[in-house]
Amino acid sequence: MLYDYFIAPFVDMFAAPDFLMQVLWEGLVSGILYALIALGFVLIFRSSRIFNFAQGIMVVFAALTLVGLHALGVPAWISVGLTLVVMFGLAVTIERVVLRPLVGQPDIILFMATIGITLFLIGAGETIFGGENKVMITEELGIPTGDYVLEPFGGLLILQHLDITVVIVATLLVLALLAFLNYTQMGRAIRALGDDHQAALSVGISLQTIWVLVWFIAGIIALVTGIAWGARAGVSFALEVIAYKALPVLMLGGLESITGAIVGGLMIGMLEKLFEIYWGQPFLGGNTETWFAFVLALIVLLFRPQGLFGERIIERV
Amino acid sequence: MKHFTKLAAAAVLGATLGTAAVAQELYAPNLAYRTGPFAATGIPLMNGQADYFAMLNARDGGVGGIKVNAEECETGYSTEKGVECYEKTKGRSIVTQPWSTGITLQVLPKTNVDEIPILAPGYGFSPMADGKVFQWAFNTPSGYWDAASMILQYLQDENGSLDGKKIAFLHLDHPYGKEPLPLLEKKAGELNFELLPIPVGLKEMQNQSAQWLQIRRERPDYVVMWGWGAMNAGAITEAVKTKYPMENFIGVWWAGHDADLKIVGADGAGYKSISWSFPNPEAPVMADIQKYVVDAGLSQSNPEEMAGVFYGRGVVISAILAEGIAAAQNEFGVAEIDASQLRWGLENINMTEERIEELGLTGMVPPFATSCANHTGHSGGWMLEWDGEQFVKVSDHMLPDTSDYQQLIADKAAEYAEANAPWPTNEDCNVGG
Repeated sequence: MLYDYFIAPFVDMFAAPDFLMQVLWEGLVSGILYALIALGFVLIFRSSRIFNFAQGIMVVFAALTLVGLHALGVPAWISVGLTLVVMFGLAVTIERVVLRPLVGQPDIILFMATIGITLFLIGAGETIFGGENKVMITEELGIPTGDYVLEPFGGLLILQHLDITVVIVATLLVLALLAFLNYTQMGRAIRALGDDHQAALSVGISLQTIWVLVWFIAGIIALVTGIAWGARAGVSFALEVIAYKALPVLMLGGLESITGAIVGGLMIGMLEKLFEIYWGQPFLGGNTETWFAFVLALIVLLFRPQGLFGERIIERV
Repeated sequence: MKHFTKLAAAAVLGATLGTAAVAQELYAPNLAYRTGPFAATGIPLMNGQADYFAMLNARDGGVGGIKVNAEECETGYSTEKGVECYEKTKGRSIVTQPWSTGITLQVLPKTNVDEIPILAPGYGFSPMADGKVFQWAFNTPSGYWDAASMILQYLQDENGSLDGKKIAFLHLDHPYGKEPLPLLEKKAGELNFELLPIPVGLKEMQNQSAQWLQIRRERPDYVVMWGWGAMNAGAITEAVKTKYPMENFIGVWWAGHDADLKIVGADGAGYKSISWSFPNPEAPVMADIQKYVVDAGLSQSNPEEMAGVFYGRGVVISAILAEGIAAAQNEFGVAEIDASQLRWGLENINMTEERIEELGLTGMVPPFATSCANHTGHSGGWMLEWDGEQFVKVSDHMLPDTSDYQQLIADKAAEYAEANAPWPTNEDCNVGG
């Protein structure tokens, strides 16, 4: 019994190292995408204390806009540019129409407002683009669609060109974001707002500009995520649920931590895959990915309520 | 006072006229799902259903001279919203079409009290076939156990025997996905094949790499899929990605949607789906829909969708309901039938080859007949195969071996009735009658 649960899975891993490599690779691809979505949440939360419930639907909206524009005859890369313009317009509109009138309101009101944005985008998306599954313009964007078939340890390892591209692009995007946040004036302003709202405002940092900026960055992340997931299984409103996978990442890594989002995303992506393959499927009937990440995050919260990388909150009474 | 009297008179007159206006139609609401994660499956089906009734209303003035109001109530495939829609529409509806096994299971006990027939073509709870126990429920023309039976039959024909084979059952982790399990488990024992159930969670529909890693590790001879909505596209793309032989991959009829296969195109060639319907753009009914609905600007569909499997199935579903209405009208001699009369109609559908031709549904649905005891009809169907561009028939008309699971239907129906006692049954209904 103990052998089955605690030893046999590791024996399986070493018996078929090529399969283990495949599992880890799939986990890495999922993990980096989770990290990317979680970053969208973290950026907005850091700068405005808003938990952006609309991040998932922004993924769908961005992907649908891209595919929709291309369907109208707009060349693929111009469609990407125009989609970014649309996401910028969305960021400006959200700041002007939804957030600005709610400045100073309790956090829960702002959270509810993002639920409103979600419902609006669902309705608008369905009205404009329809609910049918659409094919992502992968080839038109020049994203390679073949695969490398490797034979490590005499086994089989399939690496999709698409997945490799996703990992590279997502990594570059994360690095670019980190550089932006650490080495630019605007980036520092975002961090300053996250560290101390009142102090940041008192030194002349514009809340409105920063909010537009972070929502636009969230829009860029949404577009990249939408392309990556859309290329895997088509563009439909089902993509929205992918964003919910970022919730345990945030719980694990901490809502305010960029490092936490990245490390948490990668950890959850790989660990949930390992657990599902070596423990979930043989002993628990499978489908453990639906709950594993949440249980892992809850265990971490028991010991570190602020998450692995979150800042410890000390409130004086 | 004078004013009050006038107002009261106007209100009474208005109410009378209003009632008269409402009465001049048969209200057959559809609990549609054009939104949410399953919308990709729902939209073509709903369009086909809506367009058929729009065509009948425009061409024939409805069914038996009375228009059919096939209003939709949007559920987003959510069970909670589905129940709300049922409650909202039940007051004047002659039928309810729940469009999800989850919603069907929730409204099943309610329809017994409200006495409204459930029409769940090709879905719902498989034991609903037993009309004696489920007097208000119909899963015409084929149920999930019919589908499982035909798929196993097809695989047996292909191999001679399933002895020693391994079949992975990739299914949505939802009441719908689990429906065929009792029969598959029974047949696994009888035919000596290994059944490997692999569930897919609602949040994992588009990221099935873990499930397909399991398939790679277990190396099943066949993968049988009970997928819905985005799960189908997710599975098909993963199958291509992991280089699973597509000719060994078979889906139920809800996993045979052209749009899902177009994502992989030629790489999906060989994928199969059992189906009780087939699109026929040349069928007379399609010409009438074009003339009376599409050309009149009343359709929400497009030519590409109209040529697909799911739109055609939507048309067939509404045709089945219209046949039930017509049968009831003929029996009771009234155009404006009520829910209980429609139940009689749905129990007396006789879709012969001749009638299918007469309705202009040539080649779109196999012949079948329902009865008081048989609420499914067990029409059978065809094995369809994706040729890289579209689905084509690769089998003759197949029939399920219902003798295999008649007892299972009776047992599970009795089990349900006992668990939900007191459960009224139709004692006038003779088995076989």
